Amino acid sequence: MILYLGRRLLGVAGVLLAIAAVTFTIFYVLPSDPAAAACGKACSDERLEAIRAHMGLDAPLWRQFTDFVTGIFTGRTTGTGQYALRCDFPCLGYSYENSEGVWDLLVDRLPVSASLAVGAAVLWLALGLTAGVTAALRKDTLTDRALMVGAVAAASLPVYFTSVLLIYGFIRLTGLLPYPSYVPFTSDPASWAANLLLPWLALAVLYAAMYARQSRGSMIESMAEPYIRTARAKGLPRRTVVVKHGLRAGMTPILTVFGMDLGGLLAGAVITESLFGLPGVGRLFYGALTTGDQPVILGVTLLAATFIVVANLAVDLLYAVVDPRVRY
Amino acid sequence: MNKRTRTLATALVSTLSLALTACSTGPSGEGSRGPERKNPAAANAGAVLGGTPQKGGTLTVLSNQDFTHLDPARNWVMPDMDFGTRLLYRTLVTYKAGPGAEGSELVPDLAEDLGTPSNGAKTWTFRLKAGLKYEDGTPITAQDIKHNVERSFSPDLPGGPDYAARYLVGGKGYQGPGQGKHLDSIRTPDARTIVFELHTPFAEFPFAATLPTFAPVPPKQDKGPQYDSRPFSSGPYKIESYARDKQMVLVRNTHWDPKSDTVRKAYPDRIVVTMGLKGTQIDDRLIASSGGDASAVSWAQLRPESISKVLTKADVKARLLAESSSCTEMLQMHTGRAPFTDLKVRQAVQWALDREAIVTAAGGPAVTDASSAAMPGSLFTGGKQPDTLGIPLAGDPEKARKLLEEAGKPDGFSTGLTVSTGDKAIGEAIQQSLGKAGIEVTIETVDPSAFYDTIGDTRNRTDLVYTGWCPDYPSGSTFLPFVFDARFIKEKGNTGNQSLFKDDATMKRMDEIAAMSDGDAANKAWQELDGRILAKAPVAPAASKRRTLLVGTNVAGAYGHTSWGGQIDYATVGLKDPSKSAN
Amino acid sequence: MTTTTTPPPVHGGDGAWRAVRAELRRRTSLKVSLAVVVLFALMTVAAPLIGALGGWGPEEFDKSAVDPYLGGLPIGPLGGVSAEHWLGVEPITGRDLFARVVHGAQVSLLIAFAATAIVVVAGVAAGIAAGYFGGRADAVLSRLMDLTMSFPSLIFMIAMMSVARDANRTLLMILVIGLFGWPGVARVVRGQTLSLKHREYVDAARVGGSGPWRILARDVLPGVAGPVIAYTTLMVPGMIATEAALSYLGVGVRPPTPSWGQMIAESVAYYDTDPMYFLVPSLCLFLTVLAFTLIGDALRDVLDPRGGRT
Repeated sequence: MILYLGRRLLGVAGVLLAIAAVTFTIFYVLPSDPAAAACGKACSDERLEAIRAHMGLDAPLWRQFTDFVTGIFTGRTTGTGQYALRCDFPCLGYSYENSEGVWDLLVDRLPVSASLAVGAAVLWLALGLTAGVTAALRKDTLTDRALMVGAVAAASLPVYFTSVLLIYGFIRLTGLLPYPSYVPFTSDPASWAANLLLPWLALAVLYAAMYARQSRGSMIESMAEPYIRTARAKGLPRRTVVVKHGLRAGMTPILTVFGMDLGGLLAGAVITESLFGLPGVGRLFYGALTTGDQPVILGVTLLAATFIVVANLAVDLLYAVVDPRVRY
Repeated sequence: MNKRTRTLATALVSTLSLALTACSTGPSGEGSRGPERKNPAAANAGAVLGGTPQKGGTLTVLSNQDFTHLDPARNWVMPDMDFGTRLLYRTLVTYKAGPGAEGSELVPDLAEDLGTPSNGAKTWTFRLKAGLKYEDGTPITAQDIKHNVERSFSPDLPGGPDYAARYLVGGKGYQGPGQGKHLDSIRTPDARTIVFELHTPFAEFPFAATLPTFAPVPPKQDKGPQYDSRPFSSGPYKIESYARDKQMVLVRNTHWDPKSDTVRKAYPDRIVVTMGLKGTQIDDRLIASSGGDASAVSWAQLRPESISKVLTKADVKARLLAESSSCTEMLQMHTGRAPFTDLKVRQAVQWALDREAIVTAAGGPAVTDASSAAMPGSLFTGGKQPDTLGIPLAGDPEKARKLLEEAGKPDGFSTGLTVSTGDKAIGEAIQQSLGKAGIEVTIETVDPSAFYDTIGDTRNRTDLVYTGWCPDYPSGSTFLPFVFDARFIKEKGNTGNQSLFKDDATMKRMDEIAAMSDGDAANKAWQELDGRILAKAPVAPAASKRRTLLVGTNVAGAYGHTSWGGQIDYATVGLKDPSKSAN
Repeated sequence: MTTTTTPPPVHGGDGAWRAVRAELRRRTSLKVSLAVVVLFALMTVAAPLIGALGGWGPEEFDKSAVDPYLGGLPIGPLGGVSAEHWLGVEPITGRDLFARVVHGAQVSLLIAFAATAIVVVAGVAAGIAAGYFGGRADAVLSRLMDLTMSFPSLIFMIAMMSVARDANRTLLMILVIGLFGWPGVARVVRGQTLSLKHREYVDAARVGGSGPWRILARDVLPGVAGPVIAYTTLMVPGMIATEAALSYLGVGVRPPTPSWGQMIAESVAYYDTDPMYFLVPSLCLFLTVLAFTLIGDALRDVLDPRGGRT
């Protein structure tokens, strides 16, 4: 088990390094010049060169990359003299657009994206699994049909449409909820939830529909397994059979997908954040794209990749808990 | 200031944000259909909304973006300069607080007067008022102003105005005070006197002294690039908290002395800027104006899709500001490249252009005026652009075709146009109208961040670009030379002269006007030169936008300031009833 | 990911298609879905023709249909619906919505189908190679699949689209969307190939002296066809949605080209002032995605009773 974990962690580091390299190469051959963007109007060539040197953009690509990677662990200092900037471990570079370190920016925005992702995940798991399992246990009844038709329709709704509908219904028309603006959980949990409820719903509708479809299929499959028949034959109560045996085995594929989904969402739901105007990682990323803020683009990509890879690892480890057939 | 900084700011968050602003009295529409209608949004031009404010309360600012830079050495975006210099730091000279033309008058701020020129306007001396203090009670000194001017040279602190770099002796090669080097051309004989030595006569230096470059930064508080997040206050408010792209809270700076300040009224106790909101949600909130939103003003311009919601309700319309942005936008042609080397072809473009469609694309006549000159109306006598070309607003494709025929292009030709993402709809309007004359246009939309780099690459750029210019202060000298002087052309990183217009007669005339000592005569001469340049057709005048801003029902003292691109003057805005504001 | 062992699917062949036809007769929803797909496919193929029926080009302005004094809002009820403009017009420009939504279908579906094709070809090739040849090929390809799947795909697609400015946007979008889609198919195919590899009939072919390519083409490929078809059909909606997302975020097609995503992006803000403008492309997107999902479900039930969940 320890050996397995060590091997996997090594793999994770390798994957992240590869992603960093690819991202780096792509974005540092961008036609736009961050130095020119920072310099502003009427920028003399001399000043542009000075700014470029200050940003470290005059070094060759490989050099910039190795500086970046070692900088993550050892920290970096850019600029000289009184205006030198010190960026400590874990240094992901400095955003000249935001005048802030990339790491600090990410730490600042992550709670928003995480609140969005986790809240939505709780909702969609609850809704999706309930619907899926109910449908599976009442296979081919009217309930099953209705649930699945609803799920297919909901899964096909574009998120823009759902969001607009929610905003119109809950804010414009009835004034039940405030216009979303992020309030930290720590300062006012009730207001935090009220502000996030609509974004949660918008995301959850889509995912719950997908999870309902998936969990129904996987539940039907696992309920047909021989050991379920055995368990039933033993005279175990139906509830025990369904929850302890059927659901447990049926959840394995759901867990896999869930890991991927949550991992991806933690690093920002670009569209949902933009539709609701939430200051999360997704909006940070989108803003960075429109302003050519390369350190932030790189930072968010790495963060997102880390979440996905770590989520995958966590899921694989969880298998051992959920599915008794899996051993390491 | 050119369009770069402004467009950058507009586009930080929403890519589709149309900059909606312009001259208050552009040519009225010879509309192609229906009876002529009056501009429904111009009613508030030059007026102060809500009367005189009461002291106290919290003013909320709803914004769709973060400030580009608040560090005074780096702040060069019109609305941001308004916010910075009206609330957080004072400059040597500033603009009067008042609606309409009043806003372009200079008044002393930190200085006792508008500066004393000597040595043929090559030496400028300013004397500071006595007893000026920072937010911690320490005195503001001439050395601190010198320090900030020096900072503006530093490559660590890019983005700010370059007037100091352009005029100060010894500015070339200077890289700021970071390494302990200083500029000898700024002298501070005592704590209240500052002297600037320029290498060329510069009669308009007091105008330049309104820029944030000429605000004080005490060296002890200077944290280099991080100063941007916490400028040290010399104005009526100081920063209590600033979470980038989320929220900024300003509270009173108790060491600011209102008696030393003729401009800033500082009515609210607190100012809260909520950033990163959706543009349409800001509009909806201010239209409803309920609860705390009644004491709110909008930072972002009204979105085009909200215009109908505002104009159809009289009570909401009464709360809309639509001051001229004093910028003009033009379709600029690459005069150095065929077929645009041919005057007839360029004239054909001028005639083909459907300015009516462009105005509609930019939000309609309520928020945009068609433009008939290169310079904005504010630089013309009477505040109105002349129409020297006499082209119908909707264009004349027939005449354009004829001109193309005369130029030997009866079948038209195809060409490319670069527009900033926010001007996509305008690009499509241009594409459509030139197409009618047989000129097939392919549109390249470029992110605002990359826009000026892309069009500044004179070799690889498209033949046509849609961009504009805003004068830094009300003088033709901050417009025509930047836009039409061939000596400003650079092969890469070209700014301003996007038509690459090279005309010896024009340049000779510009030098003559710049040497004039009589300001009125110079202004007349600039105005007349504008028409002469247009006849040579390097550009086709297109539109001039207004800055449309909604204010809540409890807001008073609000007007668009003409020298800050039509942004609300933060020196005087406040609340009718402070007790009704949130917290 | 956890494809333990997948039992043999119904092999592509007469039996399978008979089952598909039977299924089609049984389910009305499927008939409707097919009709929708055929309708939009027709629109894709014959967009210029159908668009011309309305008499307006997708890029043609109609100044008389909008009111510039109201921010360019369409004149008339329901977003300017009239005999002239069947579905109304776009605010500001007055461009015909019918023409744009029809041409938009062409762009959106072309991108979705082409990207799917790339994904299928690349995924099948990689999956078969990994599954059939095993060993080093399998190790390398599986690593590559893991790596690709670890990329935050939407974020990466947005970034890549914004990097390349001058390229052909449609082609670029197809390639970029395809690039991140193939591992899914490859995994399905790999698992399927692994289980087919040692079937008696494959062993028999091998003993009979058939070369690996012949075995792949004659015995393995038909065996993986079923699950791949089902998986692919279910993938199309995702592709359409991805195109819409990219265009929504402003890194998609170049103006004045319409696509559903671009139309939705520009119409979202008009949802209350001009609901028709927003509803038309949204409904098209909804219907297409729904139709493909239903068809995919049906195909999976028939062709791959237990697969389709990677």
